[in-house]
Formats: sequence, structure tokens, C-alpha cells
Amino acid sequence: MELTVQLLVYGILMGLVFALIALGLSLIFGVMNIVNFAHGEFMMVGMYIAYLLSTYLPLDPLLSLPFAAGAGYLLGIVSYRLLIHHILRGPMVAQLFGTFGLMLFLRYLAMYIFTPDVRSIKEGILVGKTLSMGWINVDASKVFSAGVCLLAFAVIYWMIYRTKLGRALRATSIDSEAAKYMGIDTKGMNALAWGIGGATVALAGALLAHFYYVTPTVGMLFTLIAFATVALGGFGSIVGAFIAGIVIGLIMVISGQFVSELKFSFIYIVYFLVVVFRPRGLFGW
Amino acid sequence: MGIKKLGISSFVVILSLLILLPNHSFAQKEVKIGVILPLSGPLAPIGKSLKDGAELAADIVNKKYPGIGIPIADWEGIPGLGGAKIKLVFSDSRGDPAWGAEQAKRLIEDEKVVGLLGAYQSAVTKTASVEAERAGIPFVNPDSTSPDLSKRGFKWFWRVTPHETWFTRDLFDFLDGLVAGKAPGVKAISKSELEPLAVAAENTEWGAASLTEIEKFAKERGWKIAEAFKYAHKATDLTSESRRLTGSKAPTFLFASYVSDAILLVKAMKEMKAAPRLIWGQNAGFIAPDFWKTLGGDVNGILSRDVFAAVLGKVKPEAERINKIYKERSGFDFDGSSARDFIGVQVWAHALDKAKSTDPKALQKALNELNIPGKELIMPWKGVKFGSPFPGDTNQNELGSGIIIQYQGYPDGKPEIVFPFEMATSKLIYPFPGWK
Repeated sequence: MELTVQLLVYGILMGLVFALIALGLSLIFGVMNIVNFAHGEFMMVGMYIAYLLSTYLPLDPLLSLPFAAGAGYLLGIVSYRLLIHHILRGPMVAQLFGTFGLMLFLRYLAMYIFTPDVRSIKEGILVGKTLSMGWINVDASKVFSAGVCLLAFAVIYWMIYRTKLGRALRATSIDSEAAKYMGIDTKGMNALAWGIGGATVALAGALLAHFYYVTPTVGMLFTLIAFATVALGGFGSIVGAFIAGIVIGLIMVISGQFVSELKFSFIYIVYFLVVVFRPRGLFGW
Repeated sequence: MGIKKLGISSFVVILSLLILLPNHSFAQKEVKIGVILPLSGPLAPIGKSLKDGAELAADIVNKKYPGIGIPIADWEGIPGLGGAKIKLVFSDSRGDPAWGAEQAKRLIEDEKVVGLLGAYQSAVTKTASVEAERAGIPFVNPDSTSPDLSKRGFKWFWRVTPHETWFTRDLFDFLDGLVAGKAPGVKAISKSELEPLAVAAENTEWGAASLTEIEKFAKERGWKIAEAFKYAHKATDLTSESRRLTGSKAPTFLFASYVSDAILLVKAMKEMKAAPRLIWGQNAGFIAPDFWKTLGGDVNGILSRDVFAAVLGKVKPEAERINKIYKERSGFDFDGSSARDFIGVQVWAHALDKAKSTDPKALQKALNELNIPGKELIMPWKGVKFGSPFPGDTNQNELGSGIIIQYQGYPDGKPEIVFPFEMATSKLIYPFPGWK
């Protein structure tokens, strides 16, 4: 019982962060049918912003969250305007290589600026604090991060399903040509998808930096998990990313307890089964 | 034949001679050694410190460093090769065994290196050294510790560092010593206070080998194990693995981890308020600068096996002097990994000097017969001499040894030596003080 509760809590907390990381990837794919390989690097940028602001300015890392989200939004928009917008005219392969190139550029730019050293946030209201609740001891920043993830999902969900802007975004994702004829600024919608994608993943990065180490290659580890999450949840589905994130978090924690060596295999087995039996994912359209 | 024709013919003859003559007769000015290290990816921070260590040794061989107190500092190049300078050609293994082997091949065939050095991760060393063996080019390995590597009967592979069997024997000597009351500053501890053991190891070549060695010695010495498992080393999360250790209620935690996993494990154990009496890491991640820099005071009381500690300077003044230069250049003290890559280049320098040639056969003979006395090394070793210290070993340095360090007084402290007990530089902190 004790073990079950502990694993559920750890799995869900971690899963919510995975879900927020995957959200932007799913959104960008849903709207534009383009896979952003640089997604993990956007997260890394969010992590460095949290690290730099809290280490070199007298700012609690919690206060760095809006800055990270803002910077992620800008990074998304700028990437779209300067790169993606142009490569969209090329073949599919050019689009793949384009975002792959962006990934390498951001990763090695960070390597050049920050060196490969591993860093971590050392001080903050929540950093290194443990909450004890009965059987469970859990990092306070993980609980807080999970709360922010829930909130971010609620905001994005509301925006996409309850506002005019969201309707335009959905229309673009269903049929971009038709949306254009209806007077929707589809290029603007594409840029918005990149902006939101960048903002959510950079926010996830800033949250993660509270309890995870920061290094230029850190995005690499999370990108693969994010791809599996998006494929499992369904490309373009917000609810899908949310559920799939939690499922992946639980698989990871439960398999880590019993057969740690194979925990990634379990994730990819689930991914494989979904691809074979339900290629559009659990909630994809 | 006109003068013009004669001129052209002589030019062609001279040019052909230049091309046909063996490379080494012209190579006296520079000897290329290929160095394969993980310079990108999760192990890049360690890779960088290893590169710094190797570069410093090459610099000390190539230039004059008066007053250091070891012979290579007065050489100004390799004396046996007319003062030829060592040139290190670095190549990134990306921490990938297949890519590492590719790099070995490239260094041998394209860069025409006279020999190789590296590659830190045992899994990469294993594949890269196969390429050297195939080509008949010497591979000096200062920094990989999977016991298997020196048990393959290779003729072109020499390992300078002691390996896991050795270090694991040290660990159990240490544990038995605690029970016998030999540790300075600590009364004899009853075995039941330290038993059972819980072991977590990353799942590549090195971690798996460490786990096997620990299980073997535990059985031999009669120590019970409650949990022993391998985990995926490129992990995004190690919460459940830490939970598994904590849940086992074992008082002694043993780890074989690289740096990112080591950081995640300690953070997760702190989060779960784990309260073991002893935490011991099998070097690697547990001694990397990023480990203590990232975790600060949370490392206090953690033990790691090692081969070098800056406090050794108290007993080895030459180590202190070289460490000072290293620190000026890299910003850190030497650790067991960077100090061993320093020694790796030193071994190459001595082998080249002894061989008086860059011919592979001559180098092979020189390495087989090499004997560097301990006083010329920055390590607390008796020296470097290749032989068969454990059953099945070939070309394995017989004169190496390990130490166990404990982090004390961080974030401003230094690792103190607590084993061998007679070399201890400080009292052992026991039990592990826990995390605040």
C-alpha cells in the first residue's frame, strides 16, 4: 500500500512535467504538421534563464518563471519568422532538417556560452525543501511544478476551446487553406502556435531547473520522451498530451521500481503498441 | 640530357624518396597521439577535465617546467626522439562505443597517429581498442576500469589504472576494517549496523562490471545484499530507483554512477529523507567536479573510491606543484580521472623515449618493458609496470593502488583520504550525517 501510494504520487508529479514539455510539441504539430526537433533545446533555454536569473540576480527562481515563459514565446516566434516560415516552402525533408539544424545551433551555442559544465539552482524558497505527508516525502518544488503544469494546461485548454483566437487556431490546424479563405491569418496562427509551444516548454524547463541539473545537452534526454508522449496522446491533442504525460510518468516510476534497466523499453513498447493499433494516438484526430 | 631535364628528374627522385622514406625519420619534431574522450553529451564535463589533464602532461613534456621535481618536466620534448614534441589529437567519442571505434580508425588511418589514449568509458575503450589491435597500434588506457578490458589477451592494449576488482577489494577491506575498528577516529562498528548492503549501478559495461564485482566480493567476505540492480544511465528521472534503495532499509548504499545520475540519485535520496549510515560511490560520477559543485554541502559524508586526492600534496610535494598548475589552467583541483589522464600521457612519453622510435613494434616492446618508479608519478602508486596482477590479466599495471575519500566540510572543503587507514588525512565521519 505504502509503495503503491508512493509510486503513484512520484509518477503523477513527474508525469505532469512531461505533459507540459510535450504540450508545445503536440500543438505545433497539430497546427502545422511539422516536427520540432529543437523542442528540447527550447526547454534548455528556459532552464538556463531560471538558473541565470536566480544565480546572478537576487531573484527567487520562482520569479524567473514568467521571464522563462516570455523568452520561450519570443524564441518560438523568432524561430518561426526567421526559419520555419521559409522552410515550409521546401519539401518535408527540408523541414525536418531545418528544425534539426535549429536544435544543433541552440545546443552548441549554449555549449559555447556556458561550457558543458553541469549547474544547478542552489537557493530558492522551494529549492531542496521536502514536504512530508504520511508515507511520502516529496520535493516541494515538484509539488509546486505539478500545480503550475495543471494551471498551464487549464489556461491553454481554455484559450484553444473557449476563445475566438483558439477557434482560429483550431481552424488552421484542421484545414489551413479553408481557414485562409475565411479570412483567418494562418501565418499569424502558425507563429502563435510556435510562440505558445516555446512558452510552455520554456516554462516547464524553468520548473524543472528547480530540482534538475542544467547543462547544454539536457534537452536531448527529454525530447525523446516528449515524442513518445505526443505519439501516445495523439498529435495535436491537448488532452492527449496531458493524459499521455501522466501515463509515461507512471510507467517510468513503476518500471523503475521493479526493472529499472528496462524502463525506457516499457515506454517504447507502449508507444509501439499505440502506433500499431491506434496510429493517431489515444486522443488524436 | 639537358640541364632542365636533369633538374626535373632529380626533383622527381628527391620527391619520391621523401614520400617513400618511413614517416618516423621525419617525425622527430612532432609525435601525434590520438586521444579519444567523451567531449559532448552527458559526460562532456568529465571529458573536459580529462582533456585538461592530458594537455597539461603534454605541455610539461614539451616545455621546460623547472622545479617541479619529476624528470619529464626537464625534458623539453622526448629525449629519445631528439626532442620531438608530443602533439595530442583529440577526438570526441560522444560516449558512443560505435562512434568511438570509428574515431580510433580515423585517427589511425587519416591522422596517422603513432598510438592512442583514452577512452574513459569502458564500453568505448572496448570497441576503440579493437581497432588499435587490428591495426597493430598501441592503445594506452589510463582511465577505464571494467576488469574485462585487460582480460582479452590483447597485444596492443596496456591499462595503467587499477581496475574494478582491485577497487572492490579495497571497498571490502574498508568495510571489514570498520568492523575491526581500524578506522581512525571511529570505534569498532558491529557488522549488523552496516548490513545488508544495497547496490545501484548504471547499465553500461562499467556499471554492470562493478555490480558483478561487488556481488562476488560480498559473497566471498560474507556480506549480505538486500538490493542490487542496474538502471538506465541516461535517465530523466531516478526517483523510483532511490525509492527502491530507501525502501530496502539497508544501512549501506553502494553506487556505480556517472555524474548526471549521481546528482539525480543524491537529490532524490535527500527528497525522500533517506538515512543510510554509509554512502559509497565507485568513483566516476561521485568524484566529478560537477558532482560536488552542483550538490554543495549535500555531499558531506559521502565516500568514493578514488586514485587521487588534492590532499595527497601533503605527502607528495611534486603532486602538489603539478596540481597547482592544473588548477590555474582549469579552475579545479586534479581528481582521480584527470590525474590518471595526466599519467596516461606520461606513460606515452616514457614509452616513446625508451623505444627511441615511433615504429609500432619498438613501442610495443618499450611498453611491455616499461618501469616508471612511483616517485616520478603524481599518484600514490608504487609505479607503472605492466603484468598480470589478477588471474587472466595481461598488460595491466601491477603497481597501482586505490584510495577511498570522504567529502568533508563542503562547500568549502576538500576530499579527505580515509582509506588505506594508514594514509588517512582525516578522521572518518561516521555515521553519514544525513541531509539538512
